[in-house]
Amino acid sequence: MAQQPLLKMVGVRKTFGPVVALDNVSLELNKNEIHGFLGGNGAGKTTLMNVLYGLYKPDAGEIYLDGQKIDIRSPKDAIAHGIGMVHQHFLQIENYTVTENIVLGTELQNRPTLKLDEAEKRIADLSERFGLVVDPRAVIENLPMGVRQRVEILKALYRGVRILILDEPTTNLTPQEVDALFESLRVMVNQGLSVVFITHKLREVMSVCDRISVLRNGRNAISLPRSEANEEILVREMVGEGLDVEKSLLFSGEGLGKKTLPVGEKVVLHVENLTVRDENGLPVVNDVSFDVHEQEILGLAGVAGNGQQELAESLLGIRPIAAGRVVINGTDVAQTGTRQLIEQGVTYIPQDRLNDGFLPRASVAQNLILGYHRQPPYSSKNGLLNWPAIYQTARRLIKEYTIKTTGPDEIGANLSGGNIQRVMLARAFSHQARLMIAHNPTRGLDIHSMEFVYTKLLEQKEQGLATLLISEDLDELMLLCNRIAVMYRGQIMGILDRSQFDKYQIGRLMSGVKIND
Amino acid sequence: MTEQAIENKLTPGWVTRFLPDLLAVVASFVAAGIFIAAMGFNVLDAYETILFTSFRSTNGFIQTLLKFVPLVLLALAFTVPLAAGKFNIGGEGQMIVGAIGAAAVGIVFADLPGVLLLPLVILGGILFGAFWGAIPAWLLYRFNINEILTTVLMNFISFGLIDYVATEIWKDPLAGHPTTVPIGTGGQLPLLVSSPPLHSGLLIALVTAGLIYMYTNRTSAGYELIATGANPRASHVYGINVRRMFLMSLILGGALAGLAGAIEVSGNHHRLIEGLQSNFLILGIIIGLISRGNNLAVPFVAFFIAVLEVGASAMQRTMMIPGEMVFIVEALVLLFVLLSDVVRRR
Repeated sequence: MAQQPLLKMVGVRKTFGPVVALDNVSLELNKNEIHGFLGGNGAGKTTLMNVLYGLYKPDAGEIYLDGQKIDIRSPKDAIAHGIGMVHQHFLQIENYTVTENIVLGTELQNRPTLKLDEAEKRIADLSERFGLVVDPRAVIENLPMGVRQRVEILKALYRGVRILILDEPTTNLTPQEVDALFESLRVMVNQGLSVVFITHKLREVMSVCDRISVLRNGRNAISLPRSEANEEILVREMVGEGLDVEKSLLFSGEGLGKKTLPVGEKVVLHVENLTVRDENGLPVVNDVSFDVHEQEILGLAGVAGNGQQELAESLLGIRPIAAGRVVINGTDVAQTGTRQLIEQGVTYIPQDRLNDGFLPRASVAQNLILGYHRQPPYSSKNGLLNWPAIYQTARRLIKEYTIKTTGPDEIGANLSGGNIQRVMLARAFSHQARLMIAHNPTRGLDIHSMEFVYTKLLEQKEQGLATLLISEDLDELMLLCNRIAVMYRGQIMGILDRSQFDKYQIGRLMSGVKIND
Repeated sequence: MTEQAIENKLTPGWVTRFLPDLLAVVASFVAAGIFIAAMGFNVLDAYETILFTSFRSTNGFIQTLLKFVPLVLLALAFTVPLAAGKFNIGGEGQMIVGAIGAAAVGIVFADLPGVLLLPLVILGGILFGAFWGAIPAWLLYRFNINEILTTVLMNFISFGLIDYVATEIWKDPLAGHPTTVPIGTGGQLPLLVSSPPLHSGLLIALVTAGLIYMYTNRTSAGYELIATGANPRASHVYGINVRRMFLMSLILGGALAGLAGAIEVSGNHHRLIEGLQSNFLILGIIIGLISRGNNLAVPFVAFFIAVLEVGASAMQRTMMIPGEMVFIVEALVLLFVLLSDVVRRR
């Protein structure tokens, strides 16, 4: 006899202007199950969950809880129905304690005194019960990402939710933290909760979920129990037609093998004892040394915010170097400006594309030449722009990189996030370069585009490009890199050769544990 | 094919492009018409006067062109820094100080021949205006002081300065109004039409507007100016010295307003007169905003506003309707144009 699902979403449709984000999507969540919700970027996973959590109002569709139709208009309604959500990028008050962050927004018993002993005790109980180890009195800003996420989960549990939605919860975790999270999820489910686990990572759903649903282009693709699923079925459902899964880099595991890969002899980027300080004079990059050779991709792993961005910016002359040496193509570039570096063939894909790489009020064509606007063919010697050449290039790049736009004239602000990322990629890949610094280049891209970026990176590497690939996605780094350097609190904890790649080893380095040899 | 695409096929590009602006102008006239009617005047007559005075007589047309010159320059003095994302509200002061510079050169070197004196007078205006723009620019560059505040405050200093120059240094004892003695005749701009007089400042303004358009839209330096305005952080990341763009754009704005002051002295008054700045600053900002910072549109909008201004004085003379009515129309045009942007975005 089929058991009645705990939660049912039927025929959900949501449009943003002309874009159909969800089209007649349904979801069934059973009691005591971890339901994996799989799909590439832009497939609509988060949109559907935001509908369930009351953040978006759907154009059509119904939600049933225990067979009763319910109406959710705000997160408050959702929580009242026992539905909680942990977002990918969560907001916490940095200088509050764990307990203060958790009780914030709930009804307090002793408002005048703000005594939180009882709350603290409840949080300690919950934390023990579910194996979510947290000190309730710790101040948030001192905690690593993995613990902060536990706080966020506790926040939902404290409010008594029965259904917990986790949106890409593993993004900023080390492999060890991911394992701990999965164990906790299992405990929660055993104690009567149900979990929706949103991810684009195949292996994660395979390892932890009871049921798996795949969403593709805003539509249901498939939904099946773990026992009937295998990687191949899921991949095919995720990407649909048009991607040759057999030949795909993205799903090839360790496609290039687990052996040392050849690199060119020339050192293109040489970094020696580099130190960079922040506005308060504290070192954010601390005594860092490494080399990137011709025909090499050096990965830089690490949890976000450990100095990766500052390192990238100091290499590009955007941020001053406090101490140490940076040598590019044999010349010390400590005093070289960004403009000259770009002219000498250094390209950059910033991770914060909206703030650091894009001109929203300028046209697509203008965006595509930013940084190269003084070089031929865009600009003549006497400083006059060559618009026909600029437009010709823009049209070519729009086609080559399938940027969805009405044309070179369109104002940048009209482009979607994924298309803005394509503009960044087109700009970086289409100009002659010897060194590329790419920071999370595939963030926010759908599966086809990720595949495209990986192909492009390897192709350019074969042609001799030296690449520093900064990424928070370990799978991505292990797939593409010759070597991986791991950064923790501004320091390089170790550099591993491809033959030594090991997820857990890298994970230990990411959390600051040195290798003992 | 989408509906949008069909629509684009049926109507030529320029109609869809300018239709919202035309509607905005019509809407503002309708709205202002309600006021005029409420005040008991004949709306159609009033609008006929406002719109056609400029084109009914040579005199009216020349008056319009004379207004057009400072308007287009002050609008550019606003739009050039605006392209870099900076607000120059100091066009008035920069124009006054430019006029002082032009008059000072014209009076001190009064005996020089025209070949020398005229360029010097104009150059004096440009440099003094640029200097007046450079002070807020430097304060911004060096100490990060908000340019809106400093450019406005520099206006007030200029009022004191022109008063001092016109009543103390080169005071014309015969004049009833604070005025200096005339500049040397060599410093006067030659006339294009002698009666009624139309000076050649018109050509300078048109050439300047053309050059500014060339600079902002056709050169890589202008590209950097626009990129800076669009996103200073990204421009910095991609190697543009954005602080220098801020500095340069404000100085250039000052130079343009200074040029307007010099032309008023050298072409119109042939001396420095207190109040020559009129309300050109406000009108310049309105023109710049209606043009949405597009330097190709500025001369056309400036001409339209000049027509309204000339029509307004005529309306006041012949129909006793307060000329301020036109100011209301201009403000409404701006509001409706901004509104049409909001509507279009939806």
